[in-house]
Amino acid sequence: MKNKPEKTFAQLGYPGRLIAVEGIDGSGKSTQVYLLKRWLELQGLKVFFSEWNSSELVKSATRRGKEERLLTPTTFSLIHATDFADRYERQLVPLLKAGYIVLCDRYKFTAFARDTVRGCSPDWVRRIYSFAALPDLTFFFKAPLDVSLNRILQGRPQLKYHEAGMDLGLSSDLEESFKVFQGRLLKAYSAMKSEFGMVQINANQPIEKQQETVRQRLGNAIELAQFELDQPT
Amino acid sequence: MTARRKPTGKRKATSRVKSPRPLTKRFLGHALPGVRPSELTGRLIVIEGADGSGRSTQIRRLVDWLEASGHATTQVGLKRSNLASEELESAKNGNILNRTTMSLFYATDFADQLENIIIPSLRAGFIVLADRYIYTLMARDMVRGLDSDWVKSLYSIALKPDAVFYLKLPPEKLIQRNFMKNHTLDYWESGMDLGLSLDMFDSFVQYQQLMADKFDELRKAWGFTTIDADRSMSELNLELRSNVERVLA
Repeated sequence: MKNKPEKTFAQLGYPGRLIAVEGIDGSGKSTQVYLLKRWLELQGLKVFFSEWNSSELVKSATRRGKEERLLTPTTFSLIHATDFADRYERQLVPLLKAGYIVLCDRYKFTAFARDTVRGCSPDWVRRIYSFAALPDLTFFFKAPLDVSLNRILQGRPQLKYHEAGMDLGLSSDLEESFKVFQGRLLKAYSAMKSEFGMVQINANQPIEKQQETVRQRLGNAIELAQFELDQPT
Repeated sequence: MTARRKPTGKRKATSRVKSPRPLTKRFLGHALPGVRPSELTGRLIVIEGADGSGRSTQIRRLVDWLEASGHATTQVGLKRSNLASEELESAKNGNILNRTTMSLFYATDFADQLENIIIPSLRAGFIVLADRYIYTLMARDMVRGLDSDWVKSLYSIALKPDAVFYLKLPPEKLIQRNFMKNHTLDYWESGMDLGLSLDMFDSFVQYQQLMADKFDELRKAWGFTTIDADRSMSELNLELRSNVERVLA
């Protein structure tokens, strides 16, 4: 079977642009993408934000699968792919055709990293997601494991079962398992960084510093003025 | 039991139970993590065919016959997983499924049954009867224009069945059988999402023809046994039994 070279939305001729943020849990990427969204929408630009694992159609199955621990690496992978496909077909593609800037908190690289760390064949996972074009710009937020762990624990009392990779049986201790699992994810991300031309952001810096870099890089990559909302005057 | 025997026509009530010789399985492509195919010594028998081709009736009768012969059986089918069947059903009722999403949703449902039912049953030496398998799913996806290499790669995690029986019936007969059962055509079984025709009857006929053509293609590529389903349920069952007997030898 042949592997078709993948293209970005710009290369495919879409008027819109897709910007993805990637990184392990607790890297601070959600804060950064939120601030980016605010910056763009307050300038009156057409912007849409989409989060991993948020399709109304699929969400309850994923939640039940996680709570009742029904998921295997294969079904974990497939149910997230279903969620992604639903958002991709019903929201992302139509909005990109309508000339929106679409911000994605996690994109297919999250699946590449997580599913393969869980033991799925990298080739199988990549082929499944081959229906989705590449982002026009991807930020990779990289923070040390300790920093990520502390950020999560400040927000809530305990780590979640799957974010700690407890299903892999790496350790019976939640924090220990988190460090091993997220450490492997970090490695997987770093290995993909140059392949997909991700922009690495040092997530150990102050929020403002990171946001400044992100805004600059975005401004350099795309002509923001062409995404203005057609407001009735 | 390795001696080859010809299947005998008549069967009397006997306490003798034949043990099938252990047969190992293989994955079509990508092996699932943590599964050794050599441990899967049961049999995986797939019955394919459109709605109205008599699949469910035939499977029911096969199960009776197999259990009477002392074999343990398990049944699987589409949209029967613990994980995804409920959500898949409600998504279908809302008619809001796009083709890639529908494809992956069904693949999730399939994989859940593969890992939680099919593989453990085969490991325990059961005969697994599948009321449709990946072939229906692949045909549906391909008829909807999804890339065939993509679809094949998606289902490369499936086990190769020991036998696939395709119950074939011409579309005009399928319609009659469908009406006998429901008096209403189903939105998805009529392929209404493809926009072939706004008329449901026309759409059903066209869609079932597309599916039959695609199945013929798959049948040749994968080597299914085609069984003419245009006859009585009992005749059909006798032919299936003799085919299944060969698989059990």
